[in-house]
Amino acid sequence: MELVKRYIAAVQRELPEVKRDEIGRELTANIMDQLDALAEQQGALTEADIAALLKQMGHPRKVAQQYVPPQPFINASYMALYKNTLFMVLGILFVLHLVEVTTYWLSSANMGLIRYGFALFGGFIDEACFGFTSITLAYWLMSRQQPVANTGCGANWQPEKLPPAGPGWQHIKLQDIFTDLASYIFLLVVIWYPLYMSAEQLAQSALLLSSNVRLILQYSTPLIVLGIVHSLWQLRQRLWSRNMLATHVLLNATIAVIALYLASTSPLLQLNTERWLGVFNLQQIERSAMITLVIIALFPAWEALRDSLRLRNLK
Amino acid sequence: MTSAQLDKMRLELRRGVLVLAVLASLKQPHYGYSLRKQLQDGGIDIDEGTLYPLIRRLAEQELLTSEWQQGEGRERRYYQLSELGAQLLGQLTDEWQHLNGALGNLLGTASKEK
Repeated sequence: MELVKRYIAAVQRELPEVKRDEIGRELTANIMDQLDALAEQQGALTEADIAALLKQMGHPRKVAQQYVPPQPFINASYMALYKNTLFMVLGILFVLHLVEVTTYWLSSANMGLIRYGFALFGGFIDEACFGFTSITLAYWLMSRQQPVANTGCGANWQPEKLPPAGPGWQHIKLQDIFTDLASYIFLLVVIWYPLYMSAEQLAQSALLLSSNVRLILQYSTPLIVLGIVHSLWQLRQRLWSRNMLATHVLLNATIAVIALYLASTSPLLQLNTERWLGVFNLQQIERSAMITLVIIALFPAWEALRDSLRLRNLK
Repeated sequence: MTSAQLDKMRLELRRGVLVLAVLASLKQPHYGYSLRKQLQDGGIDIDEGTLYPLIRRLAEQELLTSEWQQGEGRERRYYQLSELGAQLLGQLTDEWQHLNGALGNLLGTASKEK
């Protein structure tokens, strides 16, 4: 009977402590009954017979799971809400982190573009891990309480209030909203950073736009603010309407025109020539900046074109 | 249809019926092994890994009462239908008979169409 004892102990190890004794006691009684029935058929049982019966009952972990089925970490009724919270919080964390790192980058003499990239994405991964863990733990605690069977799907909904059925793209993805929001806030920080920096910090800055370029960008501020308001509007509505699409087309087309206009102006940058001496010459850097601006302009131009076509088809 | 698909659907089909069979069998008290034997003798083969946890769950829902008793030199846990379980069994039996009749018609029509 040593085998039976070992088997019961192995099952009990997989069970919650409060249920171990009771289930172990009941499982022992059931196994002993089966062994008695087997002995009636076959006569005296050998260790091999007992082992075969236990093997037939299944792995101790499987048996324990049949008695106490494993619970998901987060209850299924919370899953949609959990995912939505996760995307929202991660999006907001990214925007806040972008502002922090960009401000530091602009005021730092030692931080190049590559270090900026590492700081932006490496730092965000840190914050995202913290955010993910906190949200998951909060939902785990909620799931341990009696779960609400219809979270977010209450009985008060009205079929008449459902949005009209439209094409798949009409639903605005959270990642698109946060990408736009992060881009607009990045631009605002880059344009207005001289206002909140000391003369010393400005002198040390790795990136200095020419006064002509900064003036054009400063005139574009209302457009960027409009972009932020538009993103927040999208966050609230989450469904493209004709008005929202038209605003989006207008915004992107204007941004593309401004980027192309900037690409045609010279000089674009106000560079510390001593720092770049022997690495790049001024013309090479200016040309690279111009090409970068043309590539940047292609993105809003593409979105403006795509959304114009969508606007024509949207009733 | 593959054998795995058939097994899965058969399992789903049997799951609800097993509760009815267990409740109906426990009008008289039984311990785990004797209940399994009774079901087997009645033509319902159910493995112990399904039956024993199922009885416990029904007892936790207060559909069964249970009592430890000494018998043949060993303790056994006897289960029997509670008052609540008896009410539920009556309702489930009506539901089963209604479903069985409706399905009989449907399956009869389907077999004629073949």
